[in-house]
Amino acid sequence: MASVEIRNLRKSYATTHVIKDVSIDVDDGQFVVLVGPSGCGKSTLLRMIAGLETISGGEVQIDGAVMNAVPPKERDIAMVFQNYALYPHMTVAENMGFSLKLKKVSKAEIRAKVERAADILSLSHLLDRRPKQLSGGQRQRVAMGRAIVRDPKVFLFDEPLSNLDAKLRVQMRTEIKALHQRLGSTMVYVTHDQIEALTMADKIVLMNDGRVEQMGPPLELYDRPANLFVASFIGSPSMNFFDGTIENGAFRTTSGVVLPLAQIPSGAEGRPLVYGIRPEHLQLGGAGGVAVEVAVIEPAGSETQLYGKLGTDDLVGVFRERLSARPGESVTVTPSSEQVHLFDKATGNRL
Amino acid sequence: MESRKEVIAGHLVLIFGALIALHPFVSIILQALTPAPGSTATGWTLENFIGAWTRGGFSQSLVNSAIVAFAVVFVTAVAAVLAGYVLSVLKFRWRVAVFALLMIGLVLPSEARIIPLYNFFSSTGLLNTYWALILPQIASSLPLATFWMANYFAQLPNSLAEAASLDGAGEFEILRYIYAPLGLSAVLTLSCLIFLYTWNEFMLALVLMPDNVAVQTAPLSLSFFAGNERTTEPEVIAAAAVLVALPVVLAYFFLQRRFMSGLLEGAVK
Repeated sequence: MASVEIRNLRKSYATTHVIKDVSIDVDDGQFVVLVGPSGCGKSTLLRMIAGLETISGGEVQIDGAVMNAVPPKERDIAMVFQNYALYPHMTVAENMGFSLKLKKVSKAEIRAKVERAADILSLSHLLDRRPKQLSGGQRQRVAMGRAIVRDPKVFLFDEPLSNLDAKLRVQMRTEIKALHQRLGSTMVYVTHDQIEALTMADKIVLMNDGRVEQMGPPLELYDRPANLFVASFIGSPSMNFFDGTIENGAFRTTSGVVLPLAQIPSGAEGRPLVYGIRPEHLQLGGAGGVAVEVAVIEPAGSETQLYGKLGTDDLVGVFRERLSARPGESVTVTPSSEQVHLFDKATGNRL
Repeated sequence: MESRKEVIAGHLVLIFGALIALHPFVSIILQALTPAPGSTATGWTLENFIGAWTRGGFSQSLVNSAIVAFAVVFVTAVAAVLAGYVLSVLKFRWRVAVFALLMIGLVLPSEARIIPLYNFFSSTGLLNTYWALILPQIASSLPLATFWMANYFAQLPNSLAEAASLDGAGEFEILRYIYAPLGLSAVLTLSCLIFLYTWNEFMLALVLMPDNVAVQTAPLSLSFFAGNERTTEPEVIAAAAVLVALPVVLAYFFLQRRFMSGLLEGAVK
């Protein structure tokens, strides 16, 4: 186990800057998720920690030691790749024991460690198979087993679940989290899926265009997004945004709809703002509600999603109640004024 | 999906091509099995083969061919695996230039090399030895072999080498434990090709080992034998040709499909 410190890290390919002055602290035993849209630099950052990409500027430290010039094999890091990268000509046991074989560990000890890891991951009956004889989920487990066997300082995961089907993804998500709780290891996990990030992380680092937009505990990003990008990225369905201004103590959208506010930040009045409210923070009916024209209703069993128009703006609502409204009809919804987020229209930052 | 008509048309074209390719083979085998003039045998006979074997001294020349071919195949395969790995996996600075230089060997006609080679081996005293045939053929096989292996290694996912390096493997260990075993099928296919090519080599043998019967290869022996017997017994020459070609045909049949099935399946995804 170890801590990872990233200081002012930069990565450039010729004139293209893919990582721009990123600093992150990963505490010993912490599960940190790097999340962001495709091309935001999260995988590159992970590969720089692993030593698979050179560093253009700044530092990567593991347990206080600068790793910039240390080759991957000396960093004591294990990585689970998106495509698993299992050695196709080796059995599951050989795949898992390969690193120990290179370290000249005795065969008996390799066997014991491989069996222990296989036991944790329910792979014991598959040890003599080759990767091509395994299902996607099993291959994923072998890739994790290969990492566990080494007992590394840091585990890195590069979108490990994106090749699995939806059901298996949810199952493996839980397994990885359980594994982290069991091993207590330092883990850095890359994903583009904000649900994975929210459910698994101790700390989320939300990246965009090579920069960190916000980092912190998952619910902090959900409850207090630092800017419009974070607000729109975290949460599914995405937060509703309405352009407008505060006039006479209320928010008036550009299409003239008046929305409730619990409190008005100082200096907010009169300037262009964005009013953000999450779909799950809308209630059906209520006094002081606004009329929404229904476009589509999507019943999902435990909840119902409503897609409609608030004035000229699009609106999404998620409700526990079942809705019988038809497209074109109007329903009244009330934003929970305590859950409103206000952003500066010009900078995108939270007020 | 192809229609039935397309399948039939495709097969007709292939059958026509196969007939053209097989015709010389079949006709020479039939001729070799036909009794030679003055023979007492009737119908098919193997006596032409016996005659060619005893009169042509092919036992020694077949051994010579085997020595040359196996030496060339072995050295080329080992060198091609090493060079292919370096050129496809290690991203060193002059990689493209080195690759381009190597590829010149692919376009240089072999005839252009023969006179300088003769002078070289003559001055080093290696004329009429195995070396005169082994060394130039390693050199001429290496560009294609390196290209072949580099191409194969380049198709393997980078993540295999990356995973191995994180597992603690250095470059040599990555080659030894990951790339070389995975490249085995490509090496065997390549070896088969080089073996065919080297076995059938005639021009170099004719120029570089004309005076030493003890090291002459089978195609050269066949040529001398045919020169001596040309006018009298074409059936025996046909039998000699079949004897000389037989090892290559056998090698082809044994190696062609055996290791072709990809080991890579299941590596990723």
